[in-house]
Amino acid sequence: MVAIPSFWDERKLLVFLALIIVASVVMLIEIDAARRGSQSLADQFAGTVVGPIQGALMVTGRAIANEAYVTTHARVIAEQDAALAAKARALAAADERLKAHGVENRELLRMLAVRAAVPGRTIEADVVGYAPEAARRELEIDRGSSQGIALNDVVLNGDGLIGHVVDVGPSSAHVLLIVDPTSAVPAYLQHTHAWGIVTGTWLHARMKYIGQDVHLTFGDVVVTGLGEIYPAGIPIGTVSQIDRKDNALYQVAVLQPAVNFEALDRVLVLVSR
Amino acid sequence: MSSLDPARADERLRIGPSAPRRRARVDAEISVPPRFGVLAVLALCAGIVQSTVLSGVEFRGAHISLLIVLVVWTGLRCGVVTGGWLGLLAGLIADALGGNGVNVLGFTLAGFGTGLLASRFFWDSFPVFIAAVAGATALSALLSWATLAIAFGERGAFVRDSHTAVWAMIVNCALAAIALALVRFGRSRGMIRT
Repeated sequence: MVAIPSFWDERKLLVFLALIIVASVVMLIEIDAARRGSQSLADQFAGTVVGPIQGALMVTGRAIANEAYVTTHARVIAEQDAALAAKARALAAADERLKAHGVENRELLRMLAVRAAVPGRTIEADVVGYAPEAARRELEIDRGSSQGIALNDVVLNGDGLIGHVVDVGPSSAHVLLIVDPTSAVPAYLQHTHAWGIVTGTWLHARMKYIGQDVHLTFGDVVVTGLGEIYPAGIPIGTVSQIDRKDNALYQVAVLQPAVNFEALDRVLVLVSR
Repeated sequence: MSSLDPARADERLRIGPSAPRRRARVDAEISVPPRFGVLAVLALCAGIVQSTVLSGVEFRGAHISLLIVLVVWTGLRCGVVTGGWLGLLAGLIADALGGNGVNVLGFTLAGFGTGLLASRFFWDSFPVFIAAVAGATALSALLSWATLAIAFGERGAFVRDSHTAVWAMIVNCALAAIALALVRFGRSRGMIRT
């Protein structure tokens, strides 16, 4: 007969056996549920009852942890914040530069298309200034006679006609805009091929000497007609107003210029020689 | 005047043996171990806190185990029966919160085993408590690996996680030392009666 040591008295042995049996059963139930990919009763209880408490604790814990982090790392966060702000400013500046480059790129593409479309040689020039007073609507470009620019050379950009050169220096030239009242450009309506003369009104342009029998419509495109200075087919603008009087010999059309004269920075000069 | 005189009955009654004085109520309460219900609620709270707030706290891959410390303390303080059953409950909680059955046997044996030490050692001894926590952590890890290998066919857990288990023992021992120091401090100030 084997004597059970006093350390393992009967009660402890019974408890031990009961615990082993219950723990094994619980373990097998849990393992079985895990193998089947389902949840045991204890898992379901935990998910139903304890789950919301866990969720609330997690949210609270995260909030406290965040606050603690902010409190303990205030200086570092401030430095990071300043660095990020500087980076954001640099990125914004880079973004602006990229946008400007994009605009410039589109403008250059349009000018390339114009260069391919118009006859003869062209010279690219930058606009370096406008006439300081409102006596004339002129602009100054950074190319002159040394680059081959001559008097009466036609100036345009990707949108349409700008004007023509009215005086030339060695390294600069002045361009009279088509919106200047002294400018006169032979032109015709692209739709009807009715001829007229385009002169400036400071802000817009007017097409004069359009016959009374010509049917004008808003939005008609006006292009240059072949003349002494201008080649044919360069867009000037579109009809925005029509002035027709029964007792007059001709009609007048107010044009919205194709070019925005307030935002010119690069132009093409059609070299005549 | 005879001693049988009814007028002197009060004097005669005082002659008899005096009743034993009742012990002070406060002394009686000190020796009362915590109820199992309280321990069960503590275990549930420990499991929830461990799975939420402390889930992000780790040292070299080792997580703090409030449940093991509580089970070991209960075993040392209350003996094999309470320790064993609380170990079973703690293991069940750990498995219900995401253990897939690998914890329950280890926790149960840890609670029972530390309960066996209760009759030989003082429960508030630092070396005994910390050694018991280290042993319980190791036992729990070993049985977890065995269960993983047998039930789920996951070989190599020992090689992979033994390093983490050693750190878990150290972390749990540190937690046990802090907890016991707090309990001692609370008892000295009369805030805890265990």
